[in-house]
Amino acid sequence: MNLLRTYILPRILQWALVIFVGISATFLIPRLSPINPVDEMIGRMTAFASIDPHAVVSMRESATALFGLEGTLLEQYGRFWARLFTGDLGVSFGNFPRPVSDIIGAGLPWTIGLLSIAILISWISGVFLGALAGYFHDRRWAQILERFVVVVYPIPYLIIAFVLIFVFAWWLKWFPLVGGSRGQPGLTWDYISTLLYFGFLPALSLVIGSTAFRFIMAKSLTTTEIASDYVQYAELAAVPKRKIILFYVARNTMLPQVTDLALSLGALFEGALITEVLFAYPGLGFVLYNAIYNADYNIIMGITLLSIAGIATASLLIDLLYPIFDPRVRLR
Amino acid sequence: MGTIIETNNLRAYYITKAYGVERTVKAVDDITLRIQEGEVYGIAGESGCGKSTLLRILLGAYQPPLTVVGGEVIYHLEGETMNAADMTEEQQRDMKWRTISYIPQGSMHVLNPVRRIRDTFHDFISAHRDVTKKESFQLTADYLRDLGLPEKVMASYPHQLSGGMRQRVTIALATILWPKLIFADEPTTALDVVVQRGVIQMLKDVQQKEGSTLVLITHDIGVHANLADRIGILYAGKLVEESDTKTILENPRHPYTRYLIESLPSLDSREERLAIPGRPPALDRPPSGCRFHERCPLAQDVCKTIEPELIEIEPKHFTACHVVEEELNGGHSV
Repeated sequence: MNLLRTYILPRILQWALVIFVGISATFLIPRLSPINPVDEMIGRMTAFASIDPHAVVSMRESATALFGLEGTLLEQYGRFWARLFTGDLGVSFGNFPRPVSDIIGAGLPWTIGLLSIAILISWISGVFLGALAGYFHDRRWAQILERFVVVVYPIPYLIIAFVLIFVFAWWLKWFPLVGGSRGQPGLTWDYISTLLYFGFLPALSLVIGSTAFRFIMAKSLTTTEIASDYVQYAELAAVPKRKIILFYVARNTMLPQVTDLALSLGALFEGALITEVLFAYPGLGFVLYNAIYNADYNIIMGITLLSIAGIATASLLIDLLYPIFDPRVRLR
Repeated sequence: MGTIIETNNLRAYYITKAYGVERTVKAVDDITLRIQEGEVYGIAGESGCGKSTLLRILLGAYQPPLTVVGGEVIYHLEGETMNAADMTEEQQRDMKWRTISYIPQGSMHVLNPVRRIRDTFHDFISAHRDVTKKESFQLTADYLRDLGLPEKVMASYPHQLSGGMRQRVTIALATILWPKLIFADEPTTALDVVVQRGVIQMLKDVQQKEGSTLVLITHDIGVHANLADRIGILYAGKLVEESDTKTILENPRHPYTRYLIESLPSLDSREERLAIPGRPPALDRPPSGCRFHERCPLAQDVCKTIEPELIEIEPKHFTACHVVEEELNGGHSV
């Protein structure tokens, strides 16, 4: 009970506050912009054809209502929250009148599928290989592995992705150039295999860079850890190596690693913009790219809201899970 | 009682090579020791005199840049005589904790912060004995009770214990398998005097219960006076005086030892204590002759060029000083 009151509850309040402030800022910032989206839309519609002025006036009214721009800022703010709670994020300007939630909902599963698998694979392999390479730092294989990673790590993501596309999709034609799947969606092996087939290259491009990053991080954490008194002492007492690596080294490097994993997963809702654009993958990043291109505020806002909620929730989860990973955080 | 560990003309240097510059630090230089079974042997000296280095060599826990360049370490354990240089890594590992153990310097940080004390004990016990978790918990509980430690430390994490308690737990961890030979490196440093007393008492108990041999390293002569049977005084990587504790405290002969003893505070006198003049020498370029001559008030010409030998000036009292030697040979008195 005490734990709930002094540890869990404050963190949940903090989480709610972060989301509230973030969402309020998301509401406010576009309204400070000198561009009026209603004018923009009317301008786009009347650019190539003259329209009856009365029609323009009524169109302006309905568009203002639709975009939630009626009344004072405070009234708008109140309605904004009311709509948000019913899951209404407004309509897309670019794909008028398709609702934003619909568009985001269509992109979301692709992104979640692609990114969560890429993040998990790179986290597990990076942490695992980095810890081993850090512990056995004087072995030949560890040094070769590290040199390889140090060469790969600074290569810009764009170049890795382009090389993969060029070699495997365009030249060898092993993988498709564009798209996310083929055939009738469903829980059949045929469909799932095309998902894996289409997702392989984008995922690989993401995994390479982030595995290298996590490898370097895990290795340097391990290097610090093996110099610590308790690891040295356990070595001196001839505690088996397997035990030392698992319970003395890896366990102590876990805290920053778990934070990194949770934040990466929280940032998932931003989508992988460059990846999805390069591989023409139908995820959230691709949606965001098109929205920015078309000044589609509602979609940009919708995605921003999602990623605020995602990051805030991830940090909340880290806070709640910390005591499991580090007893020093535990309440005494 | 026989000798349990001996060194013969042991030399151990830190040899580093960086940017083509070779640097040799002669941390242990020509040390011959005989440590008897069942005794408490104290090694004293100021910071940087090679105490900890000597211990690492005796323990067989060293790696480059520290290198043994000469002499030997011989163990007489379980009826066998083994030269440390001939032992395989496997033999060395096998010997640790079962027969030779180590209470480290700064044992505040030797307990894994994310592991409960009982699990750490299990790790250390099961590395050398075929026991289940339950058996090692039982063993640990019994041992901690014997030593008068509260049982609740078993389930604690290190950060939940006080510094003194952590030190005691570390001593228990080091001695749980009843090793024949225990090395303790500054076991009471960084503890306040009240806690120090408890820790010293515990070391005494542990040593006396099984008649283990304890090699105790500390700069604190007070701790030596409490615990040690014999004391070796180390100066700049060399053994300069060795005798039983009473003789060292009451009748020190080497000028350095005299300074050490005289600098101790006393209850009866309130006068200011003299500090040893000068600084300890850098061991990468130790002074010629007697390494103490630059700071020694009795230094003569011979001290600057010729290294004094360790000689037995009275039964079981060894010292390495030209002046004392001369005096003994009937030369002019000092």
